[in-house]
Amino acid sequence: MVRRQILLAALAALLGSAGPLAAKDTGLIFVSNEKSHNVLVLEPKGLRLVKEIKTAPRPRDMHFSADHSLLYVACGDADVIEVIDVASLAILRQLTTGRSPEAFAIDETRQRLYVANEESASLWVIDMAQNLTVEEVPTGAEPEGVLLSGDGKTLYVTSEVADMVHVIDTERGFVTDNIVVGTRPRRFAATPDGRALWVSTELSGEIWIIDRATNQPTGTIDFRPPGMRKSDVTPVGLAITRDGKTAYVSLGHANHVAIVDVASRQVAFYVLVGNRPWSVTLSRDETRLYVANGLSDDITVIDVAARKAAASAPVGRTPYTVVVDD
Amino acid sequence: MTSRALWLGLALLGPALAGSPARAQHPGVVTIGYVELENDARYEPVLGTERIVIARRERPEPAAEVALDEAVAIGRVIQRDFVLAHFRAANEQLLIEQVAAAVERHDIHLFVLDLPAETVGRLATALNGKPALLFNATAPDDSLRRALCAPNLIHTMPSLAMLTDALAQDLVAHKWRDVLLLEGPQEPDKILADGFARSAAKFGARLVERRGFKLGNDPRERDDNNVALLTATGRDYDVVFVADSDGEFARGLPYRTTRPRPVIGSTGLVAAAWHWTWDRYGAPQLINRFLARANRHMTGLDWSVWIAVKMIVQASLRTHGGDYPAQAAHLLGDATYDGVKGLAVSLRPWDHQLRQAILLSTPDSVIAAAPLPGFLHATNELDTLGDDRLETPCRLDGGAK
Repeated sequence: MVRRQILLAALAALLGSAGPLAAKDTGLIFVSNEKSHNVLVLEPKGLRLVKEIKTAPRPRDMHFSADHSLLYVACGDADVIEVIDVASLAILRQLTTGRSPEAFAIDETRQRLYVANEESASLWVIDMAQNLTVEEVPTGAEPEGVLLSGDGKTLYVTSEVADMVHVIDTERGFVTDNIVVGTRPRRFAATPDGRALWVSTELSGEIWIIDRATNQPTGTIDFRPPGMRKSDVTPVGLAITRDGKTAYVSLGHANHVAIVDVASRQVAFYVLVGNRPWSVTLSRDETRLYVANGLSDDITVIDVAARKAAASAPVGRTPYTVVVDD
Repeated sequence: MTSRALWLGLALLGPALAGSPARAQHPGVVTIGYVELENDARYEPVLGTERIVIARRERPEPAAEVALDEAVAIGRVIQRDFVLAHFRAANEQLLIEQVAAAVERHDIHLFVLDLPAETVGRLATALNGKPALLFNATAPDDSLRRALCAPNLIHTMPSLAMLTDALAQDLVAHKWRDVLLLEGPQEPDKILADGFARSAAKFGARLVERRGFKLGNDPRERDDNNVALLTATGRDYDVVFVADSDGEFARGLPYRTTRPRPVIGSTGLVAAAWHWTWDRYGAPQLINRFLARANRHMTGLDWSVWIAVKMIVQASLRTHGGDYPAQAAHLLGDATYDGVKGLAVSLRPWDHQLRQAILLSTPDSVIAAAPLPGFLHATNELDTLGDDRLETPCRLDGGAK
């Protein structure tokens, strides 16, 4: 306990901030780096490095627990999800996954974790308390994006190779529907009203919009940043604002993030960022968008109101996910 | 699971099926013919002295199985089982008869060919006008794309022109423009050397000299068989391009050149459709799936077979399990496919060549992917590699030559 307080005090001093770190809203930025096998922690103001947390090989997707006390990190080449204590910035324990865990979702109420295992072509349902796999659902090859419905009953998983979204009944543990979409589907975002599911299809360069009541596609969105061709556009990361009005889409090789008006499905603006932007995350107050640039080893912070890149900071090799503790 | 069982069944039945009496294809099954010759010299191992194996040259068939594994989830959704029917014969005539019979009597229309260029050409001619599409997956010969120009052929194997263009782009990108071209005495060596000379001219590299080499130790022929003399040209060069289909000369060339210059072409930096160290665009997952199935590294030929089967699966998916005419329309249309090589791959309508990135590799690393940055094109950068519409006499898309 004493040691922990000392550590906290030291960190607080390092940050030059008065607030206790154990509380929420530290504003700390966490970036997982696939090729340097670490999670880097940056402080929010000057984007300076606070701590390097060495992880198991190839950390990729990350999610906080609901109270932000824990951060879960899927480590693709170690077949584990590591659990980081946000207060001490240390790894607490590991959960065992299938081969090459990529993206995952957490159901806090039921203490379950749903993880797409890229190389075993399956979705595992893990009981987090017992560190036990309670269910394995076969998927198409290279499952990636995972999204859990608000009520925890329905799970959506993309298969990059089979070009489809699997709809999984979490109670019964099997696929109830398959929705064929564009080429190489990657990630999801749900509109806050619960009606629509957005899916990025990397190679066909689109967002597919799916009606969740019928599981039918209702339209697609194309992107054409200035000076770019359709083939340059490889969307992956997605975020939608809490009011459901604005979406942010990272465009991969087009090196831009698109700002989309959700209602009209029209692109309002393109913001130039680093090379091959993938993961995008909004700050809680939705004034800043954090973007991980996989091929320039840095992150970009977008000033949402000004619609421009406000800052960038170097991180590790091949940054994958960026999340913010706020 | 069902599709795996069916696949195994048909794999065993393959040759028998082809020779058996009329039997309609099951409506829920998409049968893909896989066609190869029993004694294909291209797959004999490369031998050194005392029959030491320098390199095994394996048939790419496991790549078709990997593509079928990937198709299981798709098959479940569109309620189709994808299966392979194997056609393998000791001689070309027998093979052509088997395939023709399969088209006419067994309702099989899509064939992946692992055949040398001459056999590809004769099979395409024999099936001209029949309801069949043939995927040339292993013959790079430009003659198939240019002079033959067969409407029933789709080339997933990169053309020789694409491969030499990729190397020429890399040289120009490095400003290694001056090239010493060494070519062997065999016809394929001349074809490769001519191909590279054409690519060099296209992208602005220069041939300092073009010299023929011979294997041997005869001092009377030392100007042609001695590496030091062959590479001691009056004018300096940046790089040596060696055209050697046999490989024995090329293997001993790097580090023996008079000037300290890199060697490319038949050894050193080599152009191919694929390399097992490619780590971008989801490639490692495919490489691992292939390794698990074949217990060896995935090669360019493997990629070309894999994408051919994948294109057929996509043609079924995107036509919701459509029949052969619907599949053919999709395949010959403007569809794009995920080749796990960056820019989406697609068919060139003028010669049915699959446009795709080309990887330039040493034995244990991908050094570059062509098209190299800066090589631009009016519509698709991939068309900077190989025959663009105006560079070939082939006009499968109609219009003037």
